[in-house]
Amino acid sequence: MFEQIAFYIFSVLTIGLFLVTVFSKNVLYAMTSLASGMVLIAGFFFLVGADFLGVVQLIVYVGAVMALYAFGMMFFNVTKDLKEKTTSNIWVMIVGVSVALLMTLMFGGVVNPEAIYASLPINSNMTNPQAVGMALFTKYLVPFEVAAIMLLIAMIGGIILAGKKMDTSLTNIEDEELQRKDVK
Amino acid sequence: MAHIEEHKETQIAQTEKQNYVMLNLGKTPDYGMPAFIQVVKRSLSLELLKGLGVTFREMINGLFRGKMHTTKYPFEKLPIAPRYRAIHEMLRLLESGHYRCIGCGLCEKICISNCIAMETRYDENQRKEVSEYTINFGRCIFCGYCAEVCPELAIVHGGRYETAGEQRAGFSLFEDMLTPIDKLKEQKEFAGFGSVSPNADENIKKTPLAY
Amino acid sequence: MDALMIGTIIKILIILLIVSAIAGFGTYIERKVLAFMQRRLGPMHVGPFGLLQIAADGIKLFTKEDIIPQNANKFIFSLAPTITAATAFIAMAALPLFPTFTIPEALPLIGGAIVPSVIADINIGILFILGTMAAGLYGPLLAGMAQSNKWGILGSARTAVQFLSYEVVTGLSVLAPIMLVGSLSLIDFNDAQIGGIGSWLIWQQPVAFILFLIAGFAETNRTPFDLLEHEAEIISGYVTEYSGLRWGMFFIGEYTNMVTISIIAAVVFCGGYNDIGFVSGWLLFILKVVFFFFLMLWVRAAWPHVRPDQMMWLCWKVLMPLAVVNVVITGIIIML
Repeated sequence: MFEQIAFYIFSVLTIGLFLVTVFSKNVLYAMTSLASGMVLIAGFFFLVGADFLGVVQLIVYVGAVMALYAFGMMFFNVTKDLKEKTTSNIWVMIVGVSVALLMTLMFGGVVNPEAIYASLPINSNMTNPQAVGMALFTKYLVPFEVAAIMLLIAMIGGIILAGKKMDTSLTNIEDEELQRKDVK
Repeated sequence: MAHIEEHKETQIAQTEKQNYVMLNLGKTPDYGMPAFIQVVKRSLSLELLKGLGVTFREMINGLFRGKMHTTKYPFEKLPIAPRYRAIHEMLRLLESGHYRCIGCGLCEKICISNCIAMETRYDENQRKEVSEYTINFGRCIFCGYCAEVCPELAIVHGGRYETAGEQRAGFSLFEDMLTPIDKLKEQKEFAGFGSVSPNADENIKKTPLAY
Repeated sequence: MDALMIGTIIKILIILLIVSAIAGFGTYIERKVLAFMQRRLGPMHVGPFGLLQIAADGIKLFTKEDIIPQNANKFIFSLAPTITAATAFIAMAALPLFPTFTIPEALPLIGGAIVPSVIADINIGILFILGTMAAGLYGPLLAGMAQSNKWGILGSARTAVQFLSYEVVTGLSVLAPIMLVGSLSLIDFNDAQIGGIGSWLIWQQPVAFILFLIAGFAETNRTPFDLLEHEAEIISGYVTEYSGLRWGMFFIGEYTNMVTISIIAAVVFCGGYNDIGFVSGWLLFILKVVFFFFLMLWVRAAWPHVRPDQMMWLCWKVLMPLAVVNVVITGIIIML
């Protein structure tokens, strides 16, 4: 009973917030609603008893990913509404509708409950993090490691791209030298 | 540049006099192995904890060894220097008790912020008498010119420094600044520039009234 | 309504009332301690030893004009302080404070209620707290961006950078004790250290403890790392345009986070609320939390601020590698 009420409240709020994200012309509103939508998604995880995933959702998406977006948003003037450049409304409509159709078809195959089965059923002897760990390090070990290597490569790439001028610090350059550089 | 160097030199001379120890920390290495070694050395020698120790020692000193610095200002006041330039005082002659001001108007003339206003007239003895005298302390910058120019040492600076007011203009009347007649005995002579010579008593004469 | 339910409600009330009172009292303590360390007296004149200064400050905050700048985004501007305060208190939900106890039957109404040590004993307690505190970064972030003030923007940029970086260190430093205990629940942490001072995790994980303290200082925006509102550089950072109660909510959030970090440090590394010999666990727990709170004020009196680039350097080049090495070594030792 409580679960159902909570589920519907969370659903309405999440969909509403993500709609705000899409339709709002104000960067600040879009960002805030996206972040709070992410928090509510964590709520869904808590509802089905996947505490660990819920907290990971909270830490990764709310704490890290969205904060990085927000950092990018600092370069906008958030007090003004954004004018979006939509070159062709027809194309936007076609792509949008086809994506929606595709999603409906994808989930439509799963709608009958018979088609849903758990490939790794929940073992009630294990706590949440243990269950996640078992799934990650037994059945999905190779994808997990591949993802890890991908992230490592991305990290090294990021460091190389950003780290070219890391050894020169502006604070250690004398003022006169700095001014000479400005003249050049 | 020269004056800056000179200034530095005097400062160094002063620090030497005060027994300060100049730490020669050398140049801080910027990168590479020396920087790493320095960081490790500083972390392992627990320099940060020494800083914590100093503050804790000071707290013990303050709390239990009676070394608190606080002056509870409105209740306790620190003594100020005798030549401090605060609210003006009008002095009286020691013998007669008459005010010293002769109404010459020099202070009004010299005042660079135009805060002194005075009116004079001749009294029944044909002696110049101050009928109006105000200082606007909202304008006064306490430069001290009035006290310096006064030929009779009638206007001097006193020690009352609490001059905060609610309005821009705050006028002080002659009678407010004048030494009360019953406190004439406690009137202190200003000891600074232009003060009365030690044998002033012998030199005092009545101002000649007949011109 | 069973006994546990009533007890939980009592616990919620205790935490809400006491912690928000502590947040107010903390300002008084902070001013006093800082004053003593600089050999001053601190607040003295309102009430005995200035104790009523808190009430005076409260009255001032409540009655102050609530200013919203003209070009600010009003909705987000008024939302941001509640985020800070709310996340700080939500994090408290998974914190064990005292041993579980039963209220004596003699009391009317609430007699017999079992007050649990944790409001919500979820089995991932410590991650939940860290996650909620991570979500708390939206308070300063949105506040700075909504107020259309350059100092605010700088403050929120620093918020994003600082909190993001130090979350990594907090997580990694707590990971090593988690591996030793084998659980994410703070109750289990407490129970693992039941055998007196010798069994405290701080002796097994000194590096993790120091890393956690440093990262905790950064996450609660305390002095060596209080770049978010560094007065000398960016006026007041993200709170530049705030006044009155809204500013007060940021304040309450910050002090609640300080209490949270102190409690985590006490539970994870310093033996939690276990009795030692005849000394009651309640008293010891309060003493530990008070010590960590005092440490934060002590550090504020002793150490200067760091520059933003020094802070980033410290996080990514020193603390994070150390934390990773610590985790790896712990893992190897567990495997052996």
